Amino acid sequence: MSALEVRDLSKRFPVGGALRRSHVHAVEDVSFELRPGTITALVGESGSGKSTVARLLARLYDPTSGAVLFGGDDVARARRRRDVLRYRSQVQIIFQDPFGSLNPVKTIRHHVERPLRIHRIVPREQVEERAHELLRAVGLVPPEEVAAKYPHELSGGQRQRVAIARALAVEPKIVLADEPISMLDVSIRIGILNLMLKLKAERGIAFLYVTHDLASARYVADEILVMYAGQIVERGPVEQVLAEPLHPYTRLLLAAVPDPARKAGRIEPRKGLASAAVDPPEGCRFVGRCPIAIDVCSRVTPPLVEAKPGQAARCHVTAPST
Amino acid sequence: MTALVEEPVAVRTTGAALLELRELVVEYGSGPRRVRAVDGVDLEIRAGEILGLAGESGCGKTTVANAAMQILRPPARLVSGSVRFRGDDLVGKSAEELRRFRWRNVSMVFQSAMNALNPVMRVGDQFVDAMRAHERIDRRRALRRAGELLELVGIDRRRLRAYPHELSGGMRQRVIIAMALSLNPELLILDEPTTALDVVVQREILQQVEALKRDFGFAVLFITHDLSLLLEFTDRIAIMYAGEIVEEAPAERLAATAQHPYTQGLLQSFPPLHGPRSRMTGIPGSPPDLRDPPSGCRFHPRCPHCVPERAGLYLRQTAERPVLREVAPGHRVACHLVEEGLA
Amino acid sequence: MSQLDPTIELSLAAPPRRALRGRLRVPGWVALLVRNRKSRTGLLMVAFMVVVALIAPLISVAHPNDFNLLAARQAPSWHHLFGTTDQGSDIFSQVVLGARRSLLLGAAAGALATGLAAVLGITAAYSGGLVDEGVNFLTNVFLTIPPIPLLVVVSGYLKDRGMGTMILVLALVLWAFEARILRGQALSLKNRDFIQAAKASGESTPRIVFGELMPNMISRIAAAFVLVFYIALLTDAGLEFLGLGDMTKTSWGVTLYWAQTNSTVLQGEWWPFVFPGLALAFTVLGLVLLLAGIDEVSNPRLRTDRAPRRRLFATLVGGRFAAARAEASA
Repeated sequence: MSALEVRDLSKRFPVGGALRRSHVHAVEDVSFELRPGTITALVGESGSGKSTVARLLARLYDPTSGAVLFGGDDVARARRRRDVLRYRSQVQIIFQDPFGSLNPVKTIRHHVERPLRIHRIVPREQVEERAHELLRAVGLVPPEEVAAKYPHELSGGQRQRVAIARALAVEPKIVLADEPISMLDVSIRIGILNLMLKLKAERGIAFLYVTHDLASARYVADEILVMYAGQIVERGPVEQVLAEPLHPYTRLLLAAVPDPARKAGRIEPRKGLASAAVDPPEGCRFVGRCPIAIDVCSRVTPPLVEAKPGQAARCHVTAPST
Repeated sequence: MTALVEEPVAVRTTGAALLELRELVVEYGSGPRRVRAVDGVDLEIRAGEILGLAGESGCGKTTVANAAMQILRPPARLVSGSVRFRGDDLVGKSAEELRRFRWRNVSMVFQSAMNALNPVMRVGDQFVDAMRAHERIDRRRALRRAGELLELVGIDRRRLRAYPHELSGGMRQRVIIAMALSLNPELLILDEPTTALDVVVQREILQQVEALKRDFGFAVLFITHDLSLLLEFTDRIAIMYAGEIVEEAPAERLAATAQHPYTQGLLQSFPPLHGPRSRMTGIPGSPPDLRDPPSGCRFHPRCPHCVPERAGLYLRQTAERPVLREVAPGHRVACHLVEEGLA
Repeated sequence: MSQLDPTIELSLAAPPRRALRGRLRVPGWVALLVRNRKSRTGLLMVAFMVVVALIAPLISVAHPNDFNLLAARQAPSWHHLFGTTDQGSDIFSQVVLGARRSLLLGAAAGALATGLAAVLGITAAYSGGLVDEGVNFLTNVFLTIPPIPLLVVVSGYLKDRGMGTMILVLALVLWAFEARILRGQALSLKNRDFIQAAKASGESTPRIVFGELMPNMISRIAAAFVLVFYIALLTDAGLEFLGLGDMTKTSWGVTLYWAQTNSTVLQGEWWPFVFPGLALAFTVLGLVLLLAGIDEVSNPRLRTDRAPRRRLFATLVGGRFAAARAEASA
C-alpha cells in the first residue's frame, strides 16, 4: 500500500554553450516507494541529485522521463490545473533554508493561511482558527502572537516550524523535507526531527527526508535510499543497510561520517566526485573511486539488484545480477 | 630570521603555552545597541596541540579567533583583556609588527575561505601574493614553496596555473590551507574549515591537516559547531556559549564525563551511528540574544536543572555568573550545579 | 520542557522585536529614504516643486499667456518676479503653472510605463517559456525604436497633441528598458525558496506575480518610476522646445521655445531662458538624487556613509538585517 510510487524517474539539464548539446544527468532511473506512516531517507552528497528528486516529486520541475504515480495516476503527465492543484493538496515540500523559504514581507499568518484558502480546506470563517491550530501543532505558542510576526522576527528553528505548519495546512499525505535541519543550530535540530516523528505517528504522513547526514537519517528513518551521481546505489531498511552496507559508496560514507565512538578513522582519498556527470559513459559511476572494482564495472552499468531480503544495491561485485 | 625553515623548530614541544587569551572582552556597537560578543574568555593553546572550540551561532567563537589574530574591525572592538603570543601581548602592537606576526607566527583559514580566492588570478599568483605580503621573498622561491605545499595537501603542483573556478570546493579549501601554512606558522586557526563540504572530502582534508601537523609540529585551533568532529580530531575541547567558555576538557574525557548541562545537551544532539536507537532530546529554546543576555548563568533559561523549587541554587543561577573551576585534571566547568556538588 | 514534546515558549526563543515605527515594512523603508542624505535631499526638492505646483493658481496671474505689450521684455522685478516675455507675459506664472504640467506628465508617464514594465517583465520572468519569449520579442522591438525621432514623427502626425497623447507615447517608448531590468530581478527572485513554496502550495501565477514577487521588488520598481519620471520630463520639455508640443498650454518647454524663437538671448534678456531652465534642472536633479538614494538604500554596498550611519541604519531597519547577520556569523 504505497502513498507514492516513483518509477524510472530521470531528469537531464542541458548545459554548455549556444548549441547546448551536452546534458547533466542529474537524476537517472530512480525508482522507489513512499508508504504512509513511514519516513524514507534519501541520502547523498551535494550534487548527487537528491534535492532534484524532491523538487521533481513536488512538481517544481518536470521530469525528462519516468513516472510519478499518485493514486494510480501519473502526476508527471498531469497538465490540467485542477489535477495539478489536487496533487499539490496532497504533496508538500519543506526547504533547506529557513530564511529563504518564507516571504520576508509577509506575516506568518499569511504563510499559513494561504494554503488553507487556496485549497478551501475549511470555510472562510474558520481559517484563522485552523491556522492557530497548525501553529500549535508544530509547537509555536502562543499562536496569535506568532501569526502576527514577520519572518525576520523569528529564529531559524521557529521559521522551519512555520514551514512545516504551512506544509501541514493542506493535510497532505506526503511531505518532502529537503535538508530541513542542515542550516539550523545543532541543539535545535533534534527538536525538528522529533516533530517529524510525532507527525508521522499521529497523522500517518509519508515523509521523504533528504539529507547528507547519515546519523540523522538513522535517527528518523525507516527506509534509506543512498544516491550517488544521480542514481540510487543502495536501498533497504535503515538499520540493515547501515549495519551491513552492500555498496562500496555506502561503506565509504559510513567510514567518513564523524563518529565519536571511534577516534580519527581513516579513509583512502581517491579521485572522483559524488555529483552528477555530464553525458556520463556506460558503466558504474563509482568505478573511479571503488576499491573493489572489476573489469565489467567500467563497461556495464550495474542494475539495482536485491541481494538480501529487502536490501538492494547497484554493484556488480556485491549485488551481481545473475 | 627566515621563516622558511623546513624542520620543526626546537621550541615546538607540547606543553609551552603558545597563545594565551586572558579575560578577553570584545564588544560590537555602542550605546543601547551594544553587544558583548565575547565576555571574559580565558583560553590557552599549547604548542603542538589541537584545541577545539565548539559552539552554536552567536556564541562568539569566530570573534575569539579574530581577536587572537588582532583583525577585529569596527564596529567590533577589544574592550579589555590580553592576547599573548609566547608571552608577548599583541594588544597595542603597531600595524607593522602585527603584519609580521600574522601569517608567520599565526595564520587563519576563515569560514568559506574557499570563496575568498580571487577569481581572476591564478592560484600560484595568489600564493605568491600572500607570502610576499608578510615576508621578503622572491617570486621564484615563493612559487617553488607553493608547489611543495600543494603536493603536501594532495594537489598536483601543476594546478598552480589554474584559476579558482577550475578547482572543486574541496580542492580550493586545501589550497587555502596550504597558503595558510606557507610561512610555517606555529599556530593554525581553522574557522569552520569544512562546513560547506561533503563528509568524504571533509575527512580527507582533516586527515591531511593531521598529517601536516605531525610533520611540522604546529598547533591548531579548530573552531566549529560540529562537536562530533572535534571529539574525533582534537586533543582538547572548549565549549562556548553566549560569549563565555562553559566547559573545557581533554577530548576523550568530554564525551564520557561532560559536566555542564549545555555540553550534555549538545552531546545529546548528535544521534549515534551505531548502538541502540533511542529518543534524543537536544536542548529546548534557542541561543540567547546577546544584546540582552539572561542574568546570572546565561544558560539558565534552557537548563533542566534550573528550577525555582531549589531556591538557593535557583537564586544563584539567575543572579550570579558561574566561574570556571577545575573539577578534574585539565577539566574545567563553569556551573553552579557542579560547584554545589563539589562543596 | 523537553524536546520530546516539541513545544517552544515564544518568549524563550524569540529575539526581541525592534520595530520602531510599527510593523509594516513600508514605513520602515520610507524612514530609510529620509535618513539617506541623497534621497532626503531629492525628496525635499521634488516635494518643493509639488507644493509649488499645487499652489500655483494662487500665486500666479490669471492668464499667464496674456499679451501685455506695455510690460514686455521686462527684467525681473518685484512686480514680475521672473520678468516678462517679449509679449509681456509673466514668466513667474508660466514657470509655476508649468510645474503642474511637467509633474503631472512625468508622474503619469512614469506610472504607466512602470506598471507596464512590471506586469510584463515579472510575468515573463516567472512564467518562462513562450510567455517569456513573447514579452522579450516585444521588449526588443520597442527598445530598438529610437525615442526622440519616434516622438517627433508621432507629434508631427497627430492632430491631438494633448497631454494624454504625450503620456501614452512617452510610456510606450520608455517601458521596454525598465521591463528588461525588472525581468532580470524577478528571474533572480524566482528561484528563491519562498516562491517555489508558494508554487508548491498551489498559488496561481497572477497571485505569485502580484502578491509574492512584486512586494519584494518595491525598491526596484520605485527606482524605475523615478527614472521614467525624469526622462519623460526632459523628453517632453525637449519636444516642446523644438516646437512639437502643444503650444497653447503653459509649460517650461513652451516658455523656452518662445524664448528661443524670439531671440531673447541676442537681446541680452536672460530671464525667459534661465528661470524655466532652472526649474527643469532643479526638478530633474531632485529626481536623480532620489534615485541615487533609492539605489543606495536597496544595495548596501553602494553606501558611502560613514560607520556611525551604518549603525543608525541597522537600528531603523530593526531586526531583519541584524538578525540575519547574527545568524550568518558563527
